[in-house]
Amino acid sequence: MDHAQFRLIIPSQTRYLNLVTGLAKRASLVAGLDDAAAAKVSIAVDEAVTNVILHAYGGEGEHSVELELRFTEQALEIHIWHSGLGIRGDQLVLPDPKEYIKHPRKGGLGLLLMSRFMDEVQFKADEVSGLNECCLIKKIS
Amino acid sequence: MADLSISVRQVGDVAVLLPAGFINAHTVRDFEDALEKLVQDGRYVILLNCKDLNYISSAGLGAIMGLIETVREHEGDILLSNLQENVFAIFDTLGFTQLYRVFGDEEQAMAEAIPGRKG
Repeated sequence: MDHAQFRLIIPSQTRYLNLVTGLAKRASLVAGLDDAAAAKVSIAVDEAVTNVILHAYGGEGEHSVELELRFTEQALEIHIWHSGLGIRGDQLVLPDPKEYIKHPRKGGLGLLLMSRFMDEVQFKADEVSGLNECCLIKKIS
Repeated sequence: MADLSISVRQVGDVAVLLPAGFINAHTVRDFEDALEKLVQDGRYVILLNCKDLNYISSAGLGAIMGLIETVREHEGDILLSNLQENVFAIFDTLGFTQLYRVFGDEEQAMAEAIPGRKG
């Protein structure tokens, strides 16, 4: 199955998170990842889509989140597009887990989980379409 | 089936909370409400028995983090038991296993939480 891909568009509502994460887990298994890796991909996708819904769109439910799954021989790529507020990679500051534990607070852990559970996490903006993208890559070992 | 259902039972001084299903940004409010109600009722020793918890995202971790200081200020604690592999991976990856006491099963947690209790 070389370079197969498909797309899913969901409303920007958290009620669809379980649908998306279930799909991500199944897609990971199809791509050849084991159960543990598939669970991690699932969590990373949850965090990425949650960020889009709650932060990029500010919790407004009438927008769209577009996901594309790309299967290659080397990796599973999950591209997530939205038209809300974007973030650039150079704006990201990941919390230090040791400091976080010393000074617990809500929030800030999603990006850390994404970065720990995926091989690559990229944030991009497409000036032509005006869409922002989060790209998650998990290599097939 | 609902994404998340929560049951609570009291065992001695320990409130055992059993979340079943998925804790994510959609369901976290119910989880948070259940935890907050325990704290409001003065039940500061809380065991999260996660045997039926399939999944927890950072939203759920944030709910636990938000209460840990309060329960410890009241000489209580939040204990964890029966973590499934992927749930343990999330806690462990973020270093939370250093912050919370994690037990293999509820009996072990109870023995720790209630000194003198056997089995």
